[in-house]
Amino acid sequence: MTVTPPMERVSQAFARRETAGRMLADDSERVARACQDMAVRFHRGGKLIAFGNGGAGTDAAHVAVEFMHPVIVGKRALPALAVSNDAAAITGVACHEGFAEVFAHQVREWAAPADIALGISSDGQCVDVLRGLEAAHALGLLTVALTGGDGGTLARSPAIDHLLIAQCDDPAVVKEIHVTTYHILWELVHVFFEQPGLLGPEVIG
Amino acid sequence: MAGSEPPEGMQELYPFLYSGESEIETVLAEVGRSTAEKAAEIVSLRREVAERSGVLLAECAEAMAKRFALGGRLFSFGNGGSSTDAQEVAEVFSYPGRGRALPALCLTGDVALLTALSNDVSFEVVFARQLAALGGSGDIALGLSTSGGSANVLRAIDEAARRGMLTIALAGYQGGKLAELEALDYLFVIPSASVHRIQEAQTTVYHVLWELTQHALGTLSA
Repeated sequence: MTVTPPMERVSQAFARRETAGRMLADDSERVARACQDMAVRFHRGGKLIAFGNGGAGTDAAHVAVEFMHPVIVGKRALPALAVSNDAAAITGVACHEGFAEVFAHQVREWAAPADIALGISSDGQCVDVLRGLEAAHALGLLTVALTGGDGGTLARSPAIDHLLIAQCDDPAVVKEIHVTTYHILWELVHVFFEQPGLLGPEVIG
Repeated sequence: MAGSEPPEGMQELYPFLYSGESEIETVLAEVGRSTAEKAAEIVSLRREVAERSGVLLAECAEAMAKRFALGGRLFSFGNGGSSTDAQEVAEVFSYPGRGRALPALCLTGDVALLTALSNDVSFEVVFARQLAALGGSGDIALGLSTSGGSANVLRAIDEAARRGMLTIALAGYQGGKLAELEALDYLFVIPSASVHRIQEAQTTVYHVLWELTQHALGTLSA
């Protein structure tokens, strides 16, 4: 067995991020279309409902705080809610209806047709994320999914309007690409806001 | 809309009805370019972090592995977006997809405790108090702050150091006040002024730390 020196291991670990990082640029048109549709929803008074499991749940929380409390001074705060944050709601629904229903239940509880549902799953195989997006789609929400690998079952669902796949099988790297992706989604939604003529009539909630 | 002139005033009221397709295409193209630029930015920032902090990362992972091998535990903390990173740190160490599950707890998870301490004492003590109650000399404290100036993170690092814990912090810009802390064992500074790019590179840093720690513990094969 050959032993890899620690420094070489560090270089290898960083190198593994390069290709997937670059490939996000190939999705720029897809990202732009998603931002446009999201901006239209916010402009109509919609809110963002985000969810995911485990590490992706922390991303859902990050997305919500990003929109609610922008790091860039002067950008408008937009309504967002991470429904994976509430341990009481999650464990309550999971215990009585099964874990697959934890997000779908909360989407039905909170969603209005003008809203956006954002589901995050690094391998696209999370059944509760899929169920959440399906419930959202049935209610008329815009549905966006962030996933990785081959996109899993999420990639085959007709309930998803915008599917963004990080081109990597390593869930850690997929997450890193997702962080960049939702930062970009947030920032570019605001670019559309600066061109309100493109978004349709505004609805003040 | 083709062929018909809008009634007077309509265009001002509903400009989107009359904005040309070309205007939308221009913004979409601009937004698309911006995505490609940001993707390139983070790729080059990660490369810079690897060059700048590679040796330190390897050393830090060795030190973490030594603590874990002796039964040490990891406590992570941060505010806002960094609190979600702190949660991910705890998640990735305690419930990894592969390798050995290691004891890790995020100090932002207990809302009752956070609101009680903030309401009754101050927000500055929310992490330090938890470390005082739960941390021991064999443990590890890992704080995240993009600015490097979060008072509750600084205070927690001080408390951890006082208890003999291994102290690690991640910061952006030039490291802020964290860079002035003598008590800190390892500081990883992401040399950027964009909060977004800093957070993205920090995600890579703690993922790589996890991977190297697992290797150091001999639980991941080459």
